[in-house]
Amino acid sequence: MTLLLDWQGVLTGQPLQWIISGFLTTLWVTVAGILLATILAVLFLGLRTGGGRVGYAVVAAWVSLFRNTPLLVQLLFWYFAAWNLLPLTFRDFINADHPGAILPGNVWWLTPEFICSAWGLAVFTSAFLIEEIESGLRAVANGQREAAVAQGFSTWRLFRLILLPQGLANAWQPIVGQYLNLMKLSSLASGIGFAELTYQVRQIESYNAHALEAFAVGTVLYLLTGVIAGAILVRLGPKHARTATKKRMA
Amino acid sequence: MLENLTVITDNLDYLLWGRLADGQPGGVVLTLLMALGAAILALPGGVALACAAWRYPGIIRRVLFLWAELIRGIPLIFVIFWLWYLLPMLTGSDLPGAVTVTLALAWFTAASVMHSVLAGLDALPVGQYEAAQTQGFTAGQTLRLILLPQVMRNVQPSLVGIFISLLKDTSLAFIVNVPELTTVAGQVNNRVQIYPTAIFIFTGVVYYLLCSGVGLVAKRWKPRDPRLSLAQR
Repeated sequence: MTLLLDWQGVLTGQPLQWIISGFLTTLWVTVAGILLATILAVLFLGLRTGGGRVGYAVVAAWVSLFRNTPLLVQLLFWYFAAWNLLPLTFRDFINADHPGAILPGNVWWLTPEFICSAWGLAVFTSAFLIEEIESGLRAVANGQREAAVAQGFSTWRLFRLILLPQGLANAWQPIVGQYLNLMKLSSLASGIGFAELTYQVRQIESYNAHALEAFAVGTVLYLLTGVIAGAILVRLGPKHARTATKKRMA
Repeated sequence: MLENLTVITDNLDYLLWGRLADGQPGGVVLTLLMALGAAILALPGGVALACAAWRYPGIIRRVLFLWAELIRGIPLIFVIFWLWYLLPMLTGSDLPGAVTVTLALAWFTAASVMHSVLAGLDALPVGQYEAAQTQGFTAGQTLRLILLPQVMRNVQPSLVGIFISLLKDTSLAFIVNVPELTTVAGQVNNRVQIYPTAIFIFTGVVYYLLCSGVGLVAKRWKPRDPRLSLAQR
């Protein structure tokens, strides 16, 4: 059987529109998910550090729960179950028209699909981020803490000025890995009907049966986004003060 | 609340084993079958690839790394899509959906197993290899008799983690409508409509018990370092 590929069927007209819109939606939900996941992870790390035994148990339960269940099931739960448990006035507010509801690229963010996807991805990823940052913090040499205490740093300033910058620099590589994972996992949001890249690629398949070409375009877009975003994030990330000075002096 | 529970008990057999009586396993049984099937393919496959990458560090290792990067750089759904369309073209026959998804999961998991085992091989003290060489072991014998037994023990926790991910990833069969646990839960939800909370919490609990159960069992059955038992004796 010969394989005939027809790129015209994918890269023109309506299919092209779908791909662009899906790609932009994937990017926006990834950005929203990453921001939310980071906020959640920091809050839970604070709870684990300062919340006593109860705080410690809550964080442990959160991590265990969301790491040991599939993301897809979590998304289905948020979308079909949790969303309907929200107050009706809130859901009506989301479903109504709002001027600020459209992000650049014509991506609607005040929709149940966008909110459930971003939230679900963020909750799932936060469970992994907590562990990554925690192990980065643990890798900070003990002398750093002792030196800071000897210098009269308060607990909060010790954490913010000494431990966190070094811990984040230690853990940055795995953190970027989790961010990129979130980008790839956003493809699962097609399972709740969220119109991101994977959803649109499948729509082309049922529209004109150019499945392989559409999958190829989708594959390349995910790969390129991962490579480019990974390179940018690693560059932007926190660096160890010592290596940074060494580089400047060299 | 009671009706919430009856939706589970009414559909319990369907959620647990689907239409097993008609020869079509589904639900939890199919989830386990797919995870075990993919693991049985991916474990030896990944170990073999790791050995190849370790033995031939030049072009072969680079090609294998590139392959693994490609596999892990795209969403797992796309690996499933590709096999879904390419396998029938290559084999000329239609495979059952569950088999296709299992193969895709095995393909994806083999890349992780390769990286994990290769890291284990690189982490062994080089003296192990050199000692075997001076004793006249061939490269194949060294790998099989000296290095791999130690490596498999050392990387066991990481392999357990990979298997737990695999177990969770079987839920992606939902996207292509293969009737494993997540898909049948979705079907039941579509049918009864009004108890999504009970259905999806039940589904989550089943996955949670399976995954944390695997973790607990693995911790208990940790293979022992023979050096330790020698010292104790």
